[in-house]
Amino acid sequence: MRWQRGLWLFLVPSFGLMTVVLLWPLGYAVYLSTFDYHLGSPGMRFVGLANYTQLLSETRFWQSLWTTIGIALGSVAVEFGLGFALALALYRLTFSTRVFMILLFLPHIITPVVATLFLKWILTSNWGLLDATLATFNINPPDWLGNPVWARICVVLADAWIFTPFVMLVLYAALQTLDQAQIEAAKIDGAGGWRIIRHVVLPSLVPVIVFTVSVRLMDVFRFFDTIYVLTGGGPGTATETITMYTYQLGFQLLQVGKASALGIITLVIVAAIIATFSSVLQRGYGRN
Amino acid sequence: MNSGQATRVRNQTLLFIGLAVFTVLNLVPLIWAALTSFKNPADAFTVPPTIIFEPTFEYHRQVWLERGFVHYLINSLIVSAGTVLISVPIGSLAAYALSRMPQRRASPILFALFTIRMFPHMLLAIPFFVMGSFLNMIDTYPLLIMALVAINQPFTIWLMYSFFLDIPRELDEAAAIDGCSPWQTFRIVILPLARPGLTVAALFSLLLSYNEFLFALVLTGIRTKTLPVAIASFGGEDVSDWSISAAGAIGIMLPIVLIMIFVQRHLVRGLTIGAVKG
Repeated sequence: MRWQRGLWLFLVPSFGLMTVVLLWPLGYAVYLSTFDYHLGSPGMRFVGLANYTQLLSETRFWQSLWTTIGIALGSVAVEFGLGFALALALYRLTFSTRVFMILLFLPHIITPVVATLFLKWILTSNWGLLDATLATFNINPPDWLGNPVWARICVVLADAWIFTPFVMLVLYAALQTLDQAQIEAAKIDGAGGWRIIRHVVLPSLVPVIVFTVSVRLMDVFRFFDTIYVLTGGGPGTATETITMYTYQLGFQLLQVGKASALGIITLVIVAAIIATFSSVLQRGYGRN
Repeated sequence: MNSGQATRVRNQTLLFIGLAVFTVLNLVPLIWAALTSFKNPADAFTVPPTIIFEPTFEYHRQVWLERGFVHYLINSLIVSAGTVLISVPIGSLAAYALSRMPQRRASPILFALFTIRMFPHMLLAIPFFVMGSFLNMIDTYPLLIMALVAINQPFTIWLMYSFFLDIPRELDEAAAIDGCSPWQTFRIVILPLARPGLTVAALFSLLLSYNEFLFALVLTGIRTKTLPVAIASFGGEDVSDWSISAAGAIGIMLPIVLIMIFVQRHLVRGLTIGAVKG
C-alpha cells in the first residue's frame, strides 16, 4: 500500500550516506589494490593482481596472519574463562551486583587508547609499576614489552583486560534468561554445582557463546588501537597483526596499492568468519 | 539460624570478597594512573612505588592549559557532537522504516548492516585518506564526522530498531487511519515515545566517536586532532612527562565514567547489539 511505500524514503538519507562513505571507498580500495601506487609519487602503474600474489608469497604477511590468529585464540580463551567465571559470580551474588558491574566494566568503556596507556605505565621497563615493585624484592624482571614472547603475552592480556567485561556482560545477560525450572529439576535429581553448570547452564548458553566468539574474532582482525599504543607491532614484527601491517604499508611506507590489497584480503577473511557463524547469528538476531 | 542459611551467608560473603579482591586488582592500572597524575616527579619514580605523597594539581593544570589539551577537547566535542547530531536522526529514520516493514524484507537488510559493522576499519582508512587528500579535506572536521557517522550507522540503526519494535504497530495504524502520512506518524506519534531510546543511542554514539582512534589518527592533523590521538602521541614520548600524560588520560576518562553511569541500565542492549568498540 501507499503508506508502506512512503516508508522506503526513510531509508534514503542513511543508506545514501553509507553508499557514498562506505561502499564507494570500498570500491575505490578494490580499484587501488590493482595498482602499484606510492602516495606522493606522480604515476600509478596497473599491475593486476600482482599486489595480491606478492603478499601471499611474503613471509611478513603470513607471519602477521599467524600473529593475529594467535592473539585471537589467546585472548578469546582468557576472555571466556574469566568472563564466564565473573558472570557466574555476579549471577550468584544477591547484593551490590550493580556496583561491581560498573567497576568491572570500566576498562571496556574508557577510551581504548587511554586504557592501553594505563597498562603501558604498569609494564614499561624499569619505571613501570610492575618492575618497580619487583625491584623492591630484588627480582630481575624480563623486558615485558621488549621481549618478543612477553610482548605477545602482554598484547593478549591487554586485549583481555579491555574485552573480558564485554564477554562477562553478554554472558551475565544470557544467564538471567536461563530457565530456572530446569536448574531446580537438576538439583532435585541430585546434580551438584559443577554438573549443573556443565550439563544445564553451558548448553543453553551455546548460541550466545557462538555469537560472542564470532564478534570477538572479527574484532581481533580490526584490533589496532591497543597494539599501536602498547608495542607499535614490535619488538621487530613480533606483535604485528594483519591490521598493523596494513597500517605500516599504507601510512608509513605509503604503498597504498599494496595496503589496499591487504585490506581486501582481511575483508575476505572476516567475511569467511561471518559466513561460518552466520546461521547461528541469523537465528540470534530476530530476538533482542 | 539453620545450617542451610548459614551456608548461604558464608557463600555470599566469600563470593563478595572474591569479587571485591578481583575488582580492585583489575583496576590497579587505572588507580595507579590516577595516583601518578597527582605526583611530583620525585614521587613518581620511587622504588618501592609509593602511595603516600603530597598531591599536586599542577599537572592537571599543565596538560589542559599549557599542553593544548583544551584545544583537543574542543576538537573532540565538535567531532562527537557533529557525529551524534547527524547519525542519530538519519539512523532513527531508517530504523523506524525497517521496524514497520515485513520481517522478510527487513531481515536481509539488517544482516547486511551487521556485515558492514564488521568491516575492517583499516580497509576503509586507506581510501578515505587517499580520497581525502584528493579533495583537500584532510585535517577538516567534515571528513572525520562523515566517516564516523557512516561507520556508526549500523549500530545506531540496530539499536533504534530494537526500541521501535517495542512500540506497538497499532499506534501507527491508528494514525494512518486518521490520515497521517508516514512522516507525520513518525514525527508526532512515534518519536515522543522513542525518547528514551534516542537518548541511549545518542550517548552510545557519543561514546563511539569520542573514543574512536584510527580514523582520527589518519584523517586529522594539527588543527583537528582529537583527544585520543593527542594522548597517544603524548603518552609515549618521555617518562619524565608521566604525570602530565597521566593527568591527560584521567581527564579524558572522566566524562566517559559519567556517561556510563547514565547508560548503565542499557549496557546490555547497547553492547550485544553493536558492541561499543567501533
